[in-house]
Amino acid sequence: MTEGKIVSVFSICLLVSGCVSSRIEESREALTGLVGDEAMVILGRASYNDHETEESFTECIVDILAKGDRPIRLIPESEFKDSLYPWFEPRTAPTSADELSRLFAQPGVQNQIDQSNVRYLAWIDGDTIIVDQGGSMSCTLSTFGGGCFGMSYWEQDASYEASIWDLQNLSAAGQISADANGTSYLAGLVVPIPILARPGNAACKGLANQLRDFVVGDE
Amino acid sequence: MIPVRYRVCLMLTILAASCVSCTTNVMVAGSLPTPLVSKIPARVGVHFTDEFKTFTYKEVMRESGTWKIDLGQQNLDFFRNLLDNMFSHLEEVDEPNFGSPEAGHDKAGQHYFGRNGGLDGVIIPKIVKYGFLTPSISGLNFYSASIQYQILLYDQSGEVIGDWNIVGYGKSEGGSFGADDALGEATMLAIRDGGARIAIEMSQQPQVIAWVDKMKQAEGD
Repeated sequence: MTEGKIVSVFSICLLVSGCVSSRIEESREALTGLVGDEAMVILGRASYNDHETEESFTECIVDILAKGDRPIRLIPESEFKDSLYPWFEPRTAPTSADELSRLFAQPGVQNQIDQSNVRYLAWIDGDTIIVDQGGSMSCTLSTFGGGCFGMSYWEQDASYEASIWDLQNLSAAGQISADANGTSYLAGLVVPIPILARPGNAACKGLANQLRDFVVGDE
Repeated sequence: MIPVRYRVCLMLTILAASCVSCTTNVMVAGSLPTPLVSKIPARVGVHFTDEFKTFTYKEVMRESGTWKIDLGQQNLDFFRNLLDNMFSHLEEVDEPNFGSPEAGHDKAGQHYFGRNGGLDGVIIPKIVKYGFLTPSISGLNFYSASIQYQILLYDQSGEVIGDWNIVGYGKSEGGSFGADDALGEATMLAIRDGGARIAIEMSQQPQVIAWVDKMKQAEGD
């Protein structure tokens, strides 16, 4: 490959993806492991304030955990919530593992959990927000043509936490947090050229892989 | 041949006209979960009003045209399933006529409801208010919906045991759905939220506890 081609490929790589820095932390409170057909459920924490865990984030985690060389049997969120209605709706769901014993005393709850063989429940809480943005870009369109000129940027911060509850022991098993930060750019050189950082995606991958290690153990 | 600038103007005019006149029809659909709650030991009739059965909300917004949300059928199916699993016996009844000459006492001294005879009470759910917010109004990234329900519970003699107002709330991300799907999802979540509160809280109401105790005492006598 000539020097010119190498520079071109490097430039294209820089253009299509921005830099993301991420950090994963784990706190364990109990030993974990999945035996036989035991399953796990991933739930996005919903609240009635401005922010809630995006559905796309929990779907991303489910996609990663259900595939790969150590797949985990996952119960779909909607199926789990329907089978335990009305106890896992946004305003009725338990907020801490301490409430599990009270919940399991409700008629039919223990039976439903036993039937679906769900061992662990992971609550995903967090969101991706824009923490800074600036620059300017203007686009014009006329009968003679058009184009965009200028440059804008936005910095995103993805911060998520997974709280893992053991439904057999009715206790908290631990927490994993994932933080990722990245700045995206949009450069207007007649054609708008995006240079996108995806901190949400980085946080998802980091959290999902750590969650798998946490639940089934390191290889 | 029409000049290019006239063609652009014509297209913009058509686009503007279509935006003003467009109607977003929102269909509400979802699952009908069976509530895992202790059944209230009572034989209850439920009366669904025609308004409840066919509830449709319509609102005209200057920015986004007309919104028509049809939640009647899904709401009805949801409440049928919900209430059926909240009481030991539930049956649908016509509009209760508590003052009818048919109502009174039978030979054994038991109260009965005329046409609704043999029931311990009648429950009438109503939708008082429906409202929704789009991201352009709220400035947030999701569609939200709220439904205010009124739940009226009458005893055998037609006296009101309870009159509860419950607000169900739901929200759905606008990004992953179209506007109609997102609002339909938010409305479905509002129905579920209202239903969850009814399922959990009704049996804990002091009036309901007293009503059930009274029936148990009457059975004991």
